[in-house]
Amino acid sequence: MYWNDPRAWSPFDELQSLQREMNRLFDGYESRTAMSRFPALNVWGNEENVVVTAELPGLETDDLDISVVNNQLTIKGERKGEKPAEDAVCHRCERDYGKFSRTVRLPYAVENDKVTAAYQNGVLTVTMPRHEATKPKRIEIKTA
Amino acid sequence: MKDNKEKTLKKMEPSAVESTRDERVYVPETDIYEKEDAILVRCDMPGVAQDQVDIRLDNTELEITGTQGGHVPEGCTLLAGEYETGVFRRKFSIPQLIDRDGIKARLHNGVLDVELPKAEQAKPRKIEITAGG
Repeated sequence: MYWNDPRAWSPFDELQSLQREMNRLFDGYESRTAMSRFPALNVWGNEENVVVTAELPGLETDDLDISVVNNQLTIKGERKGEKPAEDAVCHRCERDYGKFSRTVRLPYAVENDKVTAAYQNGVLTVTMPRHEATKPKRIEIKTA
Repeated sequence: MKDNKEKTLKKMEPSAVESTRDERVYVPETDIYEKEDAILVRCDMPGVAQDQVDIRLDNTELEITGTQGGHVPEGCTLLAGEYETGVFRRKFSIPQLIDRDGIKARLHNGVLDVELPKAEQAKPRKIEITAGG
């Protein structure tokens, strides 16, 4: 039997393929920038909408660029590293700044022109209505 | 007897201060700046509303707590999750004397700025050297 043969099956291969699957799930095509895993995204859904939320503190709405093309959502932006005052000396600098770009494939086709986005308390929420064809429909069962 | 002792030891296991709610505690990323007349603390606290921030200064210990609001979009279920929400909490020891009445805090787009003005006696003073005769 093939699963008794150590050459045929290895748990590490299995893990690697799982990792590849996960990477493919969350990665877009634009993974050129070093911060392509930033920001962390939560993808939500119901029968009407797909909602993507991201924690992006310290941005202004002008610094954000959101687009939906071909069932893929791209969030681009830049966090500026501004000093609170000219003469301030930084003793502890943990907060990152710079440009980021992230693309995710959406679980459903969406209406590109009806996408809305809100930015509140440093959390970005992108709401995308699902395309009519992908909404679940109840199928009537006809009795003979 | 021995069993009992072990049991009590287990029960007494020391731990940090725990939260009464079942929620995750995160350490917010923080920048600390110093100006001539103040110390500035800047924390990333996404998803925390203004009334959910608690700043305490106890002697030389500054504690900042921010509770994240529920981010679940109405009627939605999570399809793919990469981050979780909870509470941001962090303590710093502040060495300088702080003018407590002058502490200011501002929350803007998920970034908390706390300004701790130095007390008069802690501000740098230029000492004049008198030429000895």
